Amino acid sequence: MPFWITAALLTLLACLAVLLPLARRRDGAADGADSDLAVYQDQLAELDRDLARGAIDAAEAGEARAEIGRRILKAAGKADVAGARGNGRAGRIVATLAVLAVPLASWGIYAAIGSPNLPAQPLAARLDRNPAENTVFELVARAERHLAANPEDGRGWEVLAPIYHRIGRFDDAATAWGHAIRLLGSTAAREVALGEAVASAAGGTITPEAKAALERALALEPRNLKARFLMAAALAQEGRGDEAAGAFRAILADLPEASPWRATIAKAISDLEGGPQAGSPGGGSDADAGGLISDKDQAEMIGEMVAGLDRRLRENPGDAAGWQRLVRSYVVLRKPDEAADALARGIDALGAGSEAAAGLREFAAGLGVNAKE
Amino acid sequence: MTRKQKRLSVIGGAMAFLAVASGLVFYALGQKTSYFYMPADLQTASVEPGQRIRLGGLVEKGTVVRGAGTEIAFAVTDQVHSVRVAYSGILPDLFREEQGIVTEGVFRPDGVFVADSVLAKHDENYMPKEVADGLKETGLWQHAQ
Amino acid sequence: MIVEIGHFSLVLAFALSLVQFAVPLAGTRMGEARLVAVAGPSAVAGFALTALSFAVLTAAYVQSDFSVANVWENSHSAKPLLYKVTGVWGNHEGSMLLWVLILAFFGALVAWFGTNLPASLRANVLVVQGLVGAAFLLFILATSNPFARLDPAPLEGRDLNPILQDIGLALHPPLLYLGYVGFSVCFSFAVAALIEGRIDAAWARWVRPWTLAAWVFLTGGIAMGSYWAYYELGWGGWWFWDPVENASFLPWLSGTALLHSAIVMEKRSALKIWTLLLAILTFSLSLLGTFLVRSGVLTSVHAFATDPARGLFILLILVFFIGGSLSLFALRASTLSQGGLFHPVSREGALVLNNLFLTTAAATVLTGTLYPLLVEAVTGDKISVGAPFFNLTFIPLAVPLLLAVPFGPLLAWKRGDLWAVSQRLHAALGCALLAVALVWFFVDGAGVLAALGIGLAAWLMLGALTDLAVKAGVGKERPAVVWRRLKGLSRSIFGTAAAHFGLGLSVLGIVAVTSLEVERIEVMRPGDTVEIAGYTLRFEGLVPHRGPNFTEEQGRFTYFSGGVRAGEIVSSKRLYTARQMPTTEAGIATRGFSQLYVALGDATANDGVVVRAWWKPQVLLIWIGGLVMMAGGTISLLDRRLRVGAPSRRRARPARSAEAPAE
Repeated sequence: MPFWITAALLTLLACLAVLLPLARRRDGAADGADSDLAVYQDQLAELDRDLARGAIDAAEAGEARAEIGRRILKAAGKADVAGARGNGRAGRIVATLAVLAVPLASWGIYAAIGSPNLPAQPLAARLDRNPAENTVFELVARAERHLAANPEDGRGWEVLAPIYHRIGRFDDAATAWGHAIRLLGSTAAREVALGEAVASAAGGTITPEAKAALERALALEPRNLKARFLMAAALAQEGRGDEAAGAFRAILADLPEASPWRATIAKAISDLEGGPQAGSPGGGSDADAGGLISDKDQAEMIGEMVAGLDRRLRENPGDAAGWQRLVRSYVVLRKPDEAADALARGIDALGAGSEAAAGLREFAAGLGVNAKE
Repeated sequence: MTRKQKRLSVIGGAMAFLAVASGLVFYALGQKTSYFYMPADLQTASVEPGQRIRLGGLVEKGTVVRGAGTEIAFAVTDQVHSVRVAYSGILPDLFREEQGIVTEGVFRPDGVFVADSVLAKHDENYMPKEVADGLKETGLWQHAQ
Repeated sequence: MIVEIGHFSLVLAFALSLVQFAVPLAGTRMGEARLVAVAGPSAVAGFALTALSFAVLTAAYVQSDFSVANVWENSHSAKPLLYKVTGVWGNHEGSMLLWVLILAFFGALVAWFGTNLPASLRANVLVVQGLVGAAFLLFILATSNPFARLDPAPLEGRDLNPILQDIGLALHPPLLYLGYVGFSVCFSFAVAALIEGRIDAAWARWVRPWTLAAWVFLTGGIAMGSYWAYYELGWGGWWFWDPVENASFLPWLSGTALLHSAIVMEKRSALKIWTLLLAILTFSLSLLGTFLVRSGVLTSVHAFATDPARGLFILLILVFFIGGSLSLFALRASTLSQGGLFHPVSREGALVLNNLFLTTAAATVLTGTLYPLLVEAVTGDKISVGAPFFNLTFIPLAVPLLLAVPFGPLLAWKRGDLWAVSQRLHAALGCALLAVALVWFFVDGAGVLAALGIGLAAWLMLGALTDLAVKAGVGKERPAVVWRRLKGLSRSIFGTAAAHFGLGLSVLGIVAVTSLEVERIEVMRPGDTVEIAGYTLRFEGLVPHRGPNFTEEQGRFTYFSGGVRAGEIVSSKRLYTARQMPTTEAGIATRGFSQLYVALGDATANDGVVVRAWWKPQVLLIWIGGLVMMAGGTISLLDRRLRVGAPSRRRARPARSAEAPAE
């Protein structure tokens, strides 16, 4: 295995760095007093140079020379400290220990903390593998690399954009649709997708930017279903419930009987009429709303959905947005006890001190549901 | 002067110098340091209007109001108590609602804290150390990880 | 596999550093020359292994190998190549590896070039270096391993903190570390001298160039960090007296003191024990700096992710080395022989004065930096010690020192004549007073302090020039002789003059920008103008822009001088997409040494944007002064005397051939 061979070679080299000086026969260490003398002589030479250049005058030079002379005398009198030879056997023991310590310590520590079987994984090499072996994420990264090199490839952006959307990278999806529109031209489908991506990135809120895209889509194709649906949803979000409901009904009227959209839109309308009217006893429901699901069925359907949500949250209690939806649902269904219960369970599940729990508490307070103390 | 006197005078000079320097340090430590408070601390501690302090906490949600020009008002909270803060100038990049910040300034007599500097940290996960400690003491914040 | 090779060689380097510490130490104790000889080769091999390890980590960054946790945490495939490389040390683990790499590098340099040192001194120096290296390698392997792996590997990294993606900060840590760690060599020399119980004549000659080199790098690192904070943080400030800044400033102050006391020691064999103590203190302060930055015990605007466990480990290292070396000092210092005597008024006396001021200044900065920790530990109160404290304590210490600087180099060794020196400085003093008067009468908005401050800067610069003029014999000799003498002056004299001149430049910049700065905060809408220091700044509007790994809103400004269009400024608010982190990019226009500095704030309701604009007069001089100081240090370093540890070529050669087999 190449790793072990390389590691062994490195260890060998490190051992040699210790072994070679030990194996060599040497003269006594360099003499400390000698090197002192050399320094002083150099100082004397420098003094002469300074004098010759006129940097110092003769009296100063004489004084300095006398001082250096005194130091030379002192140095010559010193005994050499490093001269003594020690006994060979203790030295050999230390030497043997040292040479053994290098491989033992390094292999021992490495065995404890290393991951010798994990290969390096440079990004480029990972992406260059056979596409069939790539994961979706690797394929996305691959496409990104391609687009970074060829940013004018509109088709590439258009292929990548919906994938971004599906894997939840809404910002990138919006950017990608923006590129696709810039390069391939504006079509209703692209504008709608852009609007949807922008809205998803904003957590479902249809922002002015998203709205602008949807308006462009409608200008190109006034009957575009998805654009109209999202515009209606925008009205609902702005609190213009009646207008929104009207818009939804207009869409419903245009839909063929078998369309899978019907249920969604019907639910949207019922949400609109259920939500705001929950607190306003005077507002009767629009009875002749063209073959809509009856109030009873609607309540049943919502009840089922809420129960489903509740079940899901029992399995996956970390979903803060889910808890908020659940509390709101119970409020809409006018079941205050269940709402308070859901709030208490949600706070428990999210951890009483956590930020998410605080958010949930605040959200519930906005709906008039307070946690039991 | 003898050599001994000379040496003594040099040492004496150095000592006098060090004495002056340390006097200056102690004076400055007494006058020029500012205490750090969380909103809850202010319930018990008495802080005179005009006394310079540092106030730390989270930017309370929904309280940031931009006034005319560069005026900004917001509240700093430790989730229990909060203090209104007025500031004029450019806020740091990482100033957001519910972000931990440290402000420095003085209280106006009406109880509004007038900040002349607002610090948020470089790191997006960062919670200023004092603020984190303060929140931990009150049990209102756990480390995200 | 290659990543694991890097990991393995780091472990191997640790094993070697233990050998580098233990074997030669045993050798000098037992008088075994062969054991002593292990020091050099193991230091060189240890450096090679650390370098290999560092290269491997760099390769992992360049190739975006996200199976390395450190790369995943701090890099991103879309990051420009330059920042992939600099990202290696833009984080805790990588920067500690860089720290150790530089330490090993200096150890190897001592091994390579120390062949003309007495063998036991050289061995002891490498022993201490080996121990420091072993401690930090253990720290890395135990608490901050940059080679920790992730399996399966994520596909995209979390990106480097965007404010670190900047060329200023890319160069700042390596320079700073070269400075910090450079002082480790001085420290090792000091401890080696204590172990041996004597100081060789070659000691000061060896310590001085290391001090100089470390000081040059540290000066550069501090200047770079200050300039980075100035333009990147968007607050327009260049020094905040922040704990992390103080952490780099402390070793600079004591290092500057060491630089000067080492001169006395080399020339006059005096101040030996004091110099030794300074060498220990300077490196201790460097360690303290590393500890403060890495542990996060102090609140700092520069504190990035920190971890208390690591802090504790570094604290132990700190206590061990500082405590150990100071105890050794207390035990052994009295056995060292004291050197020559001198008159208080003399070059030595001036340098002692310099040391007194610098170390006291360092002590006050240290007090201010650690005081909050102390108070919190004792009373539990949280306090902050900020600029007002440091301005009140540091400036009164700095000003007399700066006033005295021009006298120092002109005084003679042993016994100086203050009166004669003052006469030589007449011209400089006259010009400085003239500068005070000119500023006072002719510069708008200049107060007494501004005028005096600028006079002080002029005094420093003119004093440095006077030093050269006097030594060249200006006024005494014919121009031709003066020229010849000027050329003949040793490089260290030029170095001194340049460093003192640079200090004057920095003071000039600091005084000018502190006292004459103009600031405007306005809400501007496209087309609005604001008047600032004789310039008219017009806001043209906000333009969206997309960079490689960020998006930004560029605020475009045009500025006019006397009605004439003088240039454009682009100031932006950026959003780095990977971390969703906003930053402010200040727009800066340079006019001479002054700058017009524009930072964008938040958008206001009525389509406007908050704009903060400064006029920063002569601000660039602060850092240009730093560069000149660095140049001075470098010139000094090239002095023939310091290039060779001991003496002349002729003398050095036989010594080298005796040592050659050790290589």
